[in-house]
Amino acid sequence: MPTYEYRGQLISISDADSEYKGYFEAASAHRLVVKKCSDCGLLRGEPGPGCPWCTSLAWEWQEVSGKGIIYSYQIVAHTVIPSFRDWAPFPIVLVELDEQRGQPDPGDGLRITANLVDADMEPEREENVAIGKRVEVVFFDGEDGFSLPQFRLTGEVPENEVWTHQA
Amino acid sequence: MVASNLRDKYCIVGVGETEYSRGSGRTTRALGAEAIRNAMNDAGLKPQDIDGMLSYHGGDSTPSTAIQYDLGLRPNFYMDCSGGGSSTEALVGLAMGAIEAGMADTVAIFRSMNGYSQIRIGGTGVRAAAPISGPDLMKRPYGLISAVQNFAFTFTRHMMEYGVTSEDLAHIKVAHSNHASNNPKALMKQRVSVEDVLNSRWIIRPCAHLLDCCLETDNATCVIVTSAERARDLKQKPVYIMGVQGRGTKPGGDFHYQHGPITRVAGHYIAPRVFDLAGVTHDDVDVTGCYDAFTYTVLLQFEDYGWCEKGEGKDYVRSGTINLGGRRPNNTSGGHLCEGYTHGMNMVIENVRQLRGTVDDYCPLAAEGIHTHDYSEGHCRQVRDAEISMNMGWGTPAVGSSLIMRR
Repeated sequence: MPTYEYRGQLISISDADSEYKGYFEAASAHRLVVKKCSDCGLLRGEPGPGCPWCTSLAWEWQEVSGKGIIYSYQIVAHTVIPSFRDWAPFPIVLVELDEQRGQPDPGDGLRITANLVDADMEPEREENVAIGKRVEVVFFDGEDGFSLPQFRLTGEVPENEVWTHQA
Repeated sequence: MVASNLRDKYCIVGVGETEYSRGSGRTTRALGAEAIRNAMNDAGLKPQDIDGMLSYHGGDSTPSTAIQYDLGLRPNFYMDCSGGGSSTEALVGLAMGAIEAGMADTVAIFRSMNGYSQIRIGGTGVRAAAPISGPDLMKRPYGLISAVQNFAFTFTRHMMEYGVTSEDLAHIKVAHSNHASNNPKALMKQRVSVEDVLNSRWIIRPCAHLLDCCLETDNATCVIVTSAERARDLKQKPVYIMGVQGRGTKPGGDFHYQHGPITRVAGHYIAPRVFDLAGVTHDDVDVTGCYDAFTYTVLLQFEDYGWCEKGEGKDYVRSGTINLGGRRPNNTSGGHLCEGYTHGMNMVIENVRQLRGTVDDYCPLAAEGIHTHDYSEGHCRQVRDAEISMNMGWGTPAVGSSLIMRR
């Protein structure tokens, strides 16, 4: 059971972790993956063991583009994790990937939590965070082969008007 | 729709709690024993009368089997369930089911937690020190650990879609703090203004200042459920359970945000069922208890339980409706924001006392049910002629429960 340290926190990914081990193995190879149902073919944002739409337990990892939009966000002004204090205030974003947006139901999407980081892998400035902005995955390489998917702004023109609390 | 043949057949006959403090200096076992004993005394029940126990916890409480020794109880039925907010209401329903199944006659439901001095829901201490594994791998490496953070994507997205402001949310805290100023038990009795909330430091932008967050508290709470038939011989005026529903969930459970709309909460699914079970409508309800882990949980539940249209919660909480003296006061004890954080049970206890007419405010003859209805600071918090109450428990945006009671 490999254990890593990242920003002062211990991360333990068990060999028997059928949900998340493959996700982090792919991240180490700088690939963002989601699970794909081997029966109905739908992707799912949370790498669980079953298909939410057809109940099939057969799945395979599927690489995705890593591009999407900020679907929602939070700026952590006060963190209870001591090793994150030097980062505060820092953004956490809920990213909606481009793949399978609005499918199979209009409100559905592949949604992943991450920090919004800048070119130096430091927290993106708060004034640049907005719902609707385009983002892409980047990988932070930690120690012992551990990599963490993060997202950064692409600067692409957003599809719709963006929203921020700072308007 | 659902049909019920249990409406009004079961009652809450006893309620009790410990002091709400930040530093109990005692174990959750000692707190639990005191809360259950207080509820037994309130009901006029002896140890041999309690033959069922239910509790809920998040690995931070004490087993029923420990307190059985402490109070000389010998249950025919007990379960200690894993669960947080919205468990109180659901366990009231499970107590009715256990009695209906013949497994017990009278069930004490308790929650005990040193939520400030030992294991804090906010994520500090023990919780933050544990290695990260399982579903937490998708959150804690990014600094996402506390309850408000887990809910914040829902809150922020709701602000965007419906134009809610921090000032709207502050009105909820103001109302609950006014209520707490008439509650001798409340941890935070001081009345606050909208400006006080807006000037308190940020926890999570844009959805939670410090004063939008509840008070981590050491406490234990208890309610006792038995049949209406037995209730008639007990000390207190029975409070009848009209309908109870939950814990119910949104599609996706813990991963609800993979589906839409993420601004919808579990109450959307629970509301029609609980009103149908109780046989009442919104207009029949005189007082509400809406889970206020954060001001935003109140606003979202008001919308999805149908007290207003979706998107109009911001107007509802500013309308005066939820204040003492308003059409339908909410969290008259001050709730989690001001009385203390109990994982939901204090708001059920408060509504039981409201329906009895004996809320423990500063009115000199409160215990006899004589109230001034002067809702200014340091006086009364009894709702005039309260007949029907409704509790709306919150676990996460995806999890909730509801309980409708009458006098």
